[in-house]
Amino acid sequence: MTPSPLLKIRGLSKHFGAVQALVDVDLDLYSHEVVALVGDNAAGKSTLARVIAGVYEPDAGSIEIDGSPVKYLTAASARSHGIATVFQGLALAENLDVTANIYLGQEVRTHGLLDEDFMESRAREYLRVLNSRIPSPRTPLSDLTAGQRQCVAIARTLVGEPKIIVLDEPTSSLSVVQTAEVLNHVSRLRSLGLGVILIGHALTEMQAVADRIEVLRHGRNNGSFASADTPYQDIIAAVSGASSTRRPRA
Amino acid sequence: MTPARSTFGSQSSLREANGERLLEAIRQFGSITQVELSGATGLSPATVSTIVRQLIAAGRVETRNTIRNGRRAQLVTLAHRSGLLVGLQIGARSLRVAISDTSFEFLDQRELPLPIDHRYDTTLDRAAVLICELTEELGSTLSEILAVGIGLPAPVDPLTQTISVPGILRGWEDVNAAQILRERLGCVTVVDNDANLGALGEMRFGAGRGLKDVVYVRASHTVGAGIVVNGSILHGALGMAGEIGHSLIDPQGPICRCGSRGCLNTKCSADALIESLRHAHAPTTLTDILSLAEAGDPGCQQVLIDAGAAIGGVIANTAVSLSPQAILVGGDLAGVGDLFIDPIREAVRRRVILAHSEDLLIQTAELGSAAELYGALALAADHANVTTSNS
Repeated sequence: MTPSPLLKIRGLSKHFGAVQALVDVDLDLYSHEVVALVGDNAAGKSTLARVIAGVYEPDAGSIEIDGSPVKYLTAASARSHGIATVFQGLALAENLDVTANIYLGQEVRTHGLLDEDFMESRAREYLRVLNSRIPSPRTPLSDLTAGQRQCVAIARTLVGEPKIIVLDEPTSSLSVVQTAEVLNHVSRLRSLGLGVILIGHALTEMQAVADRIEVLRHGRNNGSFASADTPYQDIIAAVSGASSTRRPRA
Repeated sequence: MTPARSTFGSQSSLREANGERLLEAIRQFGSITQVELSGATGLSPATVSTIVRQLIAAGRVETRNTIRNGRRAQLVTLAHRSGLLVGLQIGARSLRVAISDTSFEFLDQRELPLPIDHRYDTTLDRAAVLICELTEELGSTLSEILAVGIGLPAPVDPLTQTISVPGILRGWEDVNAAQILRERLGCVTVVDNDANLGALGEMRFGAGRGLKDVVYVRASHTVGAGIVVNGSILHGALGMAGEIGHSLIDPQGPICRCGSRGCLNTKCSADALIESLRHAHAPTTLTDILSLAEAGDPGCQQVLIDAGAAIGGVIANTAVSLSPQAILVGGDLAGVGDLFIDPIREAVRRRVILAHSEDLLIQTAELGSAAELYGALALAADHANVTTSNS
């Protein structure tokens, strides 16, 4: 009785010259689920995120979104297919406030003029839905902590009403307090029914909110683990190559 | 509008109302700059500045200078000159920290999600860092912390301050959490079982106020009870009093983490509830089951009703042994309300000798999910040797 996946990737490969970034990678993502994509440096995690976001075109493999095959995914078509991505660096404007950043590039206009009231009240709502600790949607971005900025970047993705959100290293260089906030935002996204792909190194944090952990090693799948049933050491073994797992093709 | 006298009256009550709004925003965020207060309440920066000055004069708030992104800002917090108390609740899937002053007014609180079978060294390290960061955010230092009260989801031997029974919290055997945190934070620390702390919280601040004999049930990832006899928490030998999760309910049942067969936890723990729903659909966490039940999913509702009935049976037997004045139900499962509490009431009612007492109170804990944190703060206060005021 499992519903069909929001995202179904099969046999994905991508190389950059002689570098094989991704080799024959499979990935499934269901709604109301957090999948943690883990692996060492250069395992291919960010490359996979960029393929999903439509930034890179794969050399081989298939992508299905909500059951329909998708060819030639671009950044714009990824958005219209309901895929939103937050890369490290966040792409926010320091000189603007929270509301302006949330609506940057997707501003709401009435009769040709910016509808500030509407955007402010929607921004407030997105912050509330994410359980944000930002007191006001008019706070300048420069006054926010790194964790709060991550929240604004996530809220930005909600404007397009996505089904899938990819977060690239959302908790790196955050304090424990800020990490707690961002992990709580990720849980909120899951409760909203979204499918979330979390990319990161900090396995404990990923495991705290992920339902499933997908390990990449040198561009290949090296294990798919249910977060609830898998001991930490098995995942570490897969990341480091101490164990090798081949997943049957579905 | 009406004559001068009423205008004057309405102006001061407006100021009071705005003062309350500011205090509310400060309570919600722990520490907040004046600029943020203006944005959060909608009051002008000038008004915020005036009201903050009044609140300082009234001893309600404190301000200190802080730097936000290279610029100076005024950070406002609730007044806490009398020292800080810290409550730490370590659960199966999260850790929660609350910092209060000696009047038990929460100054700040946070929750950090944790993985299944989280390691004690990583968890205690995170807890220590979290407490340091929150203390700093309040503009205070670790030396202002009077004591830290710690709750663990396992029975704690009050003498050794370690977990009494192996297997319940895997990897935490022989771990002296109090000592580890005492070395990190440099203040008094004390540990107890989380259900005991929930009971303590309810006795001091919740539905147990004024009562002497209470059974507090904590139904979350596992089930436990805090037993209050003649006003004090009953610890028993090795601190195992109240471990009702390991009462026998089915002699043919599965083996529990503790090693016995057919414990209450084998039927009512989060693992058991998730497992029983595995074929129906895939709610994979306790939170999922609770949200689905609240939304009306019949399968999830049924497992909670059955859990209530099983827990109710054990509670009814416990109540027959102890004859409490009240049975208070807390923990995550109590959040769904009557769906879970009614089967407990029913099980108690079926013990006719209990049903005779119409005064026997059976209800959800008044403090809800904060009961354990309040208990941890109370435990800290008791060991800090200060006279605290209950406001």
